Amino acid sequence: MTAAAIEFKEVTKVYRRRFAGQEIPALTHVSFEVGAGEVCAFLGPNGAGKTTSINILMGFLYADWGEIGVLGYEPGDVRAKEKIGFVPENFAFYKHLNAEKLLRFHLALAGGNLAVADATIRDLLYKVQLQGYEKLKIGKYSRGMVQRLGIAQALLSDPQLLVLDEPTSGLDPAGRKEVKDLIHNLKEQGKTIFLSSHILSEVEQICDRAIIIDKGRLVRTGSLTELLGAGDHVEILAGQVPPEMEPVLAEWGATIERGPHGVRITLPVARKRELAEKLWAADCDVVSMVPVRSSLEDLYMKLVASGVPS
Amino acid sequence: MKVWQIALNSFGIFLRDRLLIVFAVLFICTVLLMMTPLLGAKAMISTGNAAAGQGMILGMVSAIMFFVSGTGSLLAAWCAANSVSSEMKTGTILAVMARPVKRWEFLLGKYLGAMLLMSLYVVMMFGLSWILAWIGGERIQSTTWVLLVYPMVRYAVYAAIAMALVTVLHQVVTMGIILILAVAALIVQPTGQAVTGHIKYLRVPAWIVLPSTTLLSEDRFLTITHASLKQTGWLEHLTTLSYGLDYALVFVLLAMWSFHYRSLTRD
Repeated sequence: MTAAAIEFKEVTKVYRRRFAGQEIPALTHVSFEVGAGEVCAFLGPNGAGKTTSINILMGFLYADWGEIGVLGYEPGDVRAKEKIGFVPENFAFYKHLNAEKLLRFHLALAGGNLAVADATIRDLLYKVQLQGYEKLKIGKYSRGMVQRLGIAQALLSDPQLLVLDEPTSGLDPAGRKEVKDLIHNLKEQGKTIFLSSHILSEVEQICDRAIIIDKGRLVRTGSLTELLGAGDHVEILAGQVPPEMEPVLAEWGATIERGPHGVRITLPVARKRELAEKLWAADCDVVSMVPVRSSLEDLYMKLVASGVPS
Repeated sequence: MKVWQIALNSFGIFLRDRLLIVFAVLFICTVLLMMTPLLGAKAMISTGNAAAGQGMILGMVSAIMFFVSGTGSLLAAWCAANSVSSEMKTGTILAVMARPVKRWEFLLGKYLGAMLLMSLYVVMMFGLSWILAWIGGERIQSTTWVLLVYPMVRYAVYAAIAMALVTVLHQVVTMGIILILAVAALIVQPTGQAVTGHIKYLRVPAWIVLPSTTLLSEDRFLTITHASLKQTGWLEHLTTLSYGLDYALVFVLLAMWSFHYRSLTRD
C-alpha cells in the first residue's frame, strides 16, 4: 500500500449518557489504513460506527483511545483540514444564503483566492449541475440539490483527501451517476477518497478498497480483489445442453439453469475447457464464459449477517 | 479574516431570525406603551418647576431605558448562546469546522457576530433615549460615548457568560442561569441600607463574583440633570470599563477552553 492518507490504530469511542449513567460503545479497537490515491469504501449497517469514525477523523469528536492520523497530522489540525474536502451525511447549510454566497463564504474560510472566486464558483456549480440556481436561496433547494452543493463545497479548495459520508443519498439515478463519474474523475486526478455508502453496487464499481465495520468493530478490510476473490467457478451460457450431458454435469458439481436466452451452467473453473469442448462436439453454441465473482453485496450480507469478527 | 467571516455570517443569521424579529416587534410595542406616562408628565410641567420637571422627565427616560437596556443584556446572552447551540442542533457547524478553522476562531466569530448585533441594538437604544428625552421636552445631558460604550461592555459580559455556559449546558438551562445571575447581581448590589443576618456575609463576595450590572449601567448617566451634572473622571471610567472587559475576557477564554474539548455533534 502507498503512504497512508488515513490511519486508525485501535480507535475506541464510547458514548456516555451523563445522567442515565449509560455507556454505549460506538467503536471498539478499530484499526485500518487508507493509502494515498485510493478510493476506499467504508461500509456497515446503520449504527455500525461509520459516522462516528468519520467525525473522529474530521476532529469533530475525540476518540477515547487509539491513534488517528489524517494526511500525517492529528484530526482537526488545520494543516490537514486545508487539504480535506468533506461532505457530511444530511448536509445542513445556512438556508438564508444562496449557492454563490455559501461557496464564497467557504472559500474565505478555506483561505482560497477570493480574486478568482467568481470563476472558481462558476466552474464548480457547472460541475455539479447547479448552474442557473446560483441566486436561489438554499432553503428552497431540493434534497438532491443540497447534496450536489455539498459536493461542490467539498471540492472548493482542490482537496487531496475527500471524505464523503453518503454522498449519493437523496440523489436520483442520474444524479448518482454524475457523482459516480465525478468520483472517477477525482480518482484519475490522484485524489484519495474515503466514501461511506449503502449502495454497494456503486461502491463496487468505483472503489479500490473496502472497510466493513459492524457494531463498532472492524469486520473485514482489503482490496476489492482480495475481498471478492478471483472466483473458483465459471459461468457458461450455452444455446442448449444435450440431455445425455446432464448427469455428467451433475457429477462435476455444476448447476444448470434454463432461461429464455439459453442454458446457464455454473461449474468449477477446472472443468470449463472440458465442458466447452463437449458442447462444441455436440454442436451446441457457447455464447459466453465468465468467471463467477461474488458481489460486494453478497460478501457484505454474509459478513454483517453472520457477525464475522475481524 | 476567518473570524470576521464567521462573525458577519452570524450577524446575517441573527437579522433573519424569526424569534428575534418577533422580539423586536413586541419590544417596540412595549416601548410605545411606556411613552404614555412620559407625555403625561410633560403636560404637568409648568415654568415654575422646570428643574424638578427636568429631573422627573430624565428619571422616566432612565426608567424606560433601564428596561430596554436590561432586556439587551438578556438578548446578548440569548444571541451568544443561540449562535453556538443552533449551529450544533442544525449541523451547520460541521461544514464550517471541516474548513481550516480552529475551534477558538469559530467561537470568537460567533461571539463577535453577537456583539455586532448588540452594537446595532446599542445605537438604536441611544437613539431611543434621545427621542424619549425630546418627547419630554428635554435633552440627554450625558456624553455620547458613555451611552454607547457602557452598555456594549455590559453586553460583552453577558454574551461571554452565556457562551461559556452553552458550551457545557443546554441553551434553555444557560438562559435560566443568566436570568438568575442578572437578578442576583441586582439584589446584592451595595445600597445605603444596612443588611443584617447571615446574608451580609454573602452579599459582598456575591457582589464581587457576579457581573456588576449597576456599575456597568449607562442608566446612572441618564439621570444626571443640569442641577446635579458632575463629570465622571477618566480613571473611574477606565477602571469600570476595564473591570467589565476583564470579566468578559475571562469568560470568553473559559468558553474557548471548554469548546475545545467538547464534541461538535449531537451524540
